[in-house]
Amino acid sequence: MTGLGYTLPAVLAVIAVCALEFGLLRTGLFRRPAYWISMVIVFAFMIPVDGWLTKLSAPIVIYDNSHTSGVRFPFDIPVEDFLFGFALVTAVMLLWERQRLRDLKTEDAA
Amino acid sequence: MDRWQYLIVLGACLLITAPLEIFGKGVYRQARRAAFAVLPVAAVFVVWDAVAIAAHIWTYNPKYVTGIELPAAIPLEELLFFIVIPLCGLFTYNAVDTILTYLSKRFRASSEQSS
Repeated sequence: MTGLGYTLPAVLAVIAVCALEFGLLRTGLFRRPAYWISMVIVFAFMIPVDGWLTKLSAPIVIYDNSHTSGVRFPFDIPVEDFLFGFALVTAVMLLWERQRLRDLKTEDAA
Repeated sequence: MDRWQYLIVLGACLLITAPLEIFGKGVYRQARRAAFAVLPVAAVFVVWDAVAIAAHIWTYNPKYVTGIELPAAIPLEELLFFIVIPLCGLFTYNAVDTILTYLSKRFRASSEQSS
């Protein structure tokens, strides 16, 4: 239960994604209601999908418990997966949004 | 049949989100934009995955994967995961954004009419 192998990188990934937005991209994604509604939907669908992948009765992905916090909720999902998922999906949405803003700028210039 | 489990889960994710393509400018119809959003992030997460597999932080149950592996013992399914799941996220965001934009336009139009 050192938490170093998965818990720490998962927390760092979330911090890195926030730093990417606030320090570099500044897309304003976090101020858009569409983003937060989407994340609620994404997490709602993540529970059955990730729940299936991580269920302890017949796991597809097997975690070394010494590298996680040991908290598995809901079902048998390691809570770190939600940080992982947040970082993955948010990072992609940031890059997607950045291109939308770029297109708007070029449209304005034209 | 069990060996296809992980692939089937990913396939189901694509199947469920596919109808969302009708919203706005879509995601598949903006394949270039989607690729530029998904692939750089996938590259970072694949490296994370490779390190975690090498350090035995997580492993994959050989019963439920095809056994096709990329370098660094990454199951093919994992690479696809980092493409499929972000695509599902983009489908969701594109649909929600399209609906909210539509609603706010309608709301503005109706409030202009009443004033």
